[in-house]
Amino acid sequence: MGHLCRPWTGAPFLGRGRPLTAPAAAGPLVRLLGDKLGDATSHLWTDEDTVEVQVPGDRIVETLRTLRDDPEFAFFFQADAAAVDYGVGEHFEVVYHLHSDRHPTWLRIRVPVDRQTPVTQTVTGLWEGAMFHEREMYDMMGIVFEGNRDLRRIYMSPDYRSFPQRKDFLLPDDAADSPAAGNMPLERPETWDLTRLEDAAAHRDEPGGPV
Amino acid sequence: MAVEQPKGAKPIPVSKDDTPTTTALARAEAIVIPDPTSEDDLLSEFGMETHPRGGFHGLLEVIPTRADYILDLIRANSLWPLLSGLSCCAIEMMSTATPMNDMDRFGMFPMRASPRQADVLIVAGTLTTKMAGPLVRLWAQMPEPKWCVAMGTCTTSGGRFKRSYSVVQGVDRVMPVDVYVPGCPPRPEGLIYGMMKLHELVKQRRGQWDTFVDRGPELRSWEGDVR
Amino acid sequence: MTTTKKPASRRRAPPEDEAALRATAEGRIRDPLELEEAAALDGPEPGVVSTRPEFYGFDIVPPPDRPPQTEREREVYTLGDGEMLVNMGPQHPSTHGVMRIVLKVRGEVVIDLDPVLGYLHRGIEKLCENATYTTVMTYVDPMDYMSAMHNEHAPALAFEKLYGIKAPRRAEYIRALVVELNRVFSHGLMMGFLALDLGGLTPILYGFINRDQVVDLLSAISGQRMLFNFFRVGGVNFDVNDEFLSRLGTWRAGVLDTIEMNEKLLTENEIFGARTKGMGVLTGQQAIDLGVTGPNLRASGVPFDVRKAHPYPPYPELEFDVITQQGGDTYARYMQRVAELKQSIHLIDQIVDRMPHGPVQAQVPGIIRPKPGRAYAAVESPRGLYSVYAISDGGPNPYRFRMRDPSFISLQAVPKLMPGRLVADTMAVMASFDPVMGGVDK
Repeated sequence: MGHLCRPWTGAPFLGRGRPLTAPAAAGPLVRLLGDKLGDATSHLWTDEDTVEVQVPGDRIVETLRTLRDDPEFAFFFQADAAAVDYGVGEHFEVVYHLHSDRHPTWLRIRVPVDRQTPVTQTVTGLWEGAMFHEREMYDMMGIVFEGNRDLRRIYMSPDYRSFPQRKDFLLPDDAADSPAAGNMPLERPETWDLTRLEDAAAHRDEPGGPV
Repeated sequence: MAVEQPKGAKPIPVSKDDTPTTTALARAEAIVIPDPTSEDDLLSEFGMETHPRGGFHGLLEVIPTRADYILDLIRANSLWPLLSGLSCCAIEMMSTATPMNDMDRFGMFPMRASPRQADVLIVAGTLTTKMAGPLVRLWAQMPEPKWCVAMGTCTTSGGRFKRSYSVVQGVDRVMPVDVYVPGCPPRPEGLIYGMMKLHELVKQRRGQWDTFVDRGPELRSWEGDVR
Repeated sequence: MTTTKKPASRRRAPPEDEAALRATAEGRIRDPLELEEAAALDGPEPGVVSTRPEFYGFDIVPPPDRPPQTEREREVYTLGDGEMLVNMGPQHPSTHGVMRIVLKVRGEVVIDLDPVLGYLHRGIEKLCENATYTTVMTYVDPMDYMSAMHNEHAPALAFEKLYGIKAPRRAEYIRALVVELNRVFSHGLMMGFLALDLGGLTPILYGFINRDQVVDLLSAISGQRMLFNFFRVGGVNFDVNDEFLSRLGTWRAGVLDTIEMNEKLLTENEIFGARTKGMGVLTGQQAIDLGVTGPNLRASGVPFDVRKAHPYPPYPELEFDVITQQGGDTYARYMQRVAELKQSIHLIDQIVDRMPHGPVQAQVPGIIRPKPGRAYAAVESPRGLYSVYAISDGGPNPYRFRMRDPSFISLQAVPKLMPGRLVADTMAVMASFDPVMGGVDK
């Protein structure tokens, strides 16, 4: 039973920037990426069920189009589009996950986006379902997608001024000043309504109790 | 022009040319509030002195009190909730309304979609800053008497979403709450217990609303009550 | 006592004009009350219905206070001739939660649709960045609250990839068992919600009977009726116990009858068929383009099931096929869920037959600190492909925890399907996609 409980050392370390040998399942895909998209992709990394490449922001739409339309790739389905913030001095990243019936692994595409001018191209021309993903990335991280026909906030109110999922987004220390505090927050005693306490106090000794 | 006032009331201040002044102060002083301790009370002529705690005494106590009691019983046993389920607690509220834990036996089956027809606002689910506006508008649209039940910990205090940038930390920050039902989500039995507590409030006609006509402090118990 | 001052245009005409109006070119003496009503309908200004307080009840939804910022907004909020914006506001009787839909209608026909989301946005992704890997399980539960087990399954798989472990085989089977039980009651409730949105009040009660039975079962194994907090990194929290097994047996004996009871009301029902067949047809290519997954996609004929496409244990060892329907309309989505419900019951039978012995949780410290890396894990939830992308930086909290919710993406299909349909069909089409607002808004 000990073999079930020890960490499975068969899994490779999921380290950053370490080139690893591609497992057999991902072999054909890695070769194809090297052959057809070798100039657009870099930093190839694989895992037992994922192949990951980085694509620069100006080449992303044509790369995704090749991946979608080329019959040997056939990545017809975009599963996920996520935005990552690597820190205050670092860049953003947009991460796409694609699925294909011809390849058993997921394909992860990472697109670096500059933090000072967070602008990148939209993929709504390829997959219409990316619209809500991009709206969410704009709302939460502030990444602007050029060419998106409907880039407005989706979760927060339209007049919200901040981008919550950035690493430099902090709640104000005094939560009573944020809009989530409401009208009579406990942090501000001057707003307490003490008249409600009179009722219970006055009837404390009644036979029925103060309820 | 002198207006006759009953004894104990201050005269209306009259201006020099004999037209009554219309300041708010004068209007307030013109209202006659019978002094309960005065012996020349109108009701004492009929042998019905006012009770020191308000309400009526003697014969007049029995009829309106019993009618009020029945009215409050009717109201308590037919509270119509507003269908305002926001999140996971809504599923448990619906589960309370469905056959396994029946809320219909307490008269609460018709979940009204319109706030104008509802008595109770069961806030079931997390209240976010974007939804706070519509919810308060719903509360304002409900006619009085109305009660609010904060179901679940998200509405009691923000719950598991403390320190979230978009969750209101308890619905009592934006509207008055009568019953808090803790739990995440509360079991249907828990919500029914909360409704039983609400029944007690309804029967005592205790609530928090602005334009409710105050008929004086209600009697907490009366002779012969075996609560 | 306040007196309302009537605006000038609504005052009665002065007597001399009245006399002139009485003897019009038509030669008819007109009733003075008629004149007042006619004057009342004009209103004080063009575009304003009335200043009388009785008519304040229903305001037409005004366009947003700010000018439309995007092309699509301009498209939706520009009213043509005879068009009107109708707000299906955040509180409405359909039970999907708080979603606001702004419909642009001409009469009863929907021209365009704009869903406004975010009324339940709780900031779960941001909160998870300050939570340990085990606490994350409590945060993701209330996302897609109807399928809370699936919500936990994907993070558990992702964190196990980050940490480099696999759960024991018994834990995998228990995970599949509770996940399929969750799928059973979620699909059963979808049948009820679809009927409720069409106006039928009974199927939802049957759905809740089934749901309460299953949920009592799951509370015997996890302690909670709805937001289970059952999965852990490396396994599950508790093993099956006698109470769970006895309730499972009782439930299994009666479930097909309960589902049959519900199906008898709906599947062959003429009214249900007339309202759902041919309604909201989504072709396979359209569905893939929009990112729709799960039963919605398979009802349009595309055989994409995450349990087969990117299998996670123990599904490679279980026998099941990918069911699809042809048609892609609301009725097909309903039939797809009924078929998947029965498939889940079949899967539960297999799981109970083949459950291996062993531990249910790997030896994992309470606060795990995986090595820096990235992991992506996807599971098949009752609404589609639910996936988690987690980035670890070596500390006790995930650096980035991203969830892709299927209902969020499936909602994009609704504005494509609605134009040309009637208002009452909006909720039917929406219900057939079975969105859960907790997942949509995270």
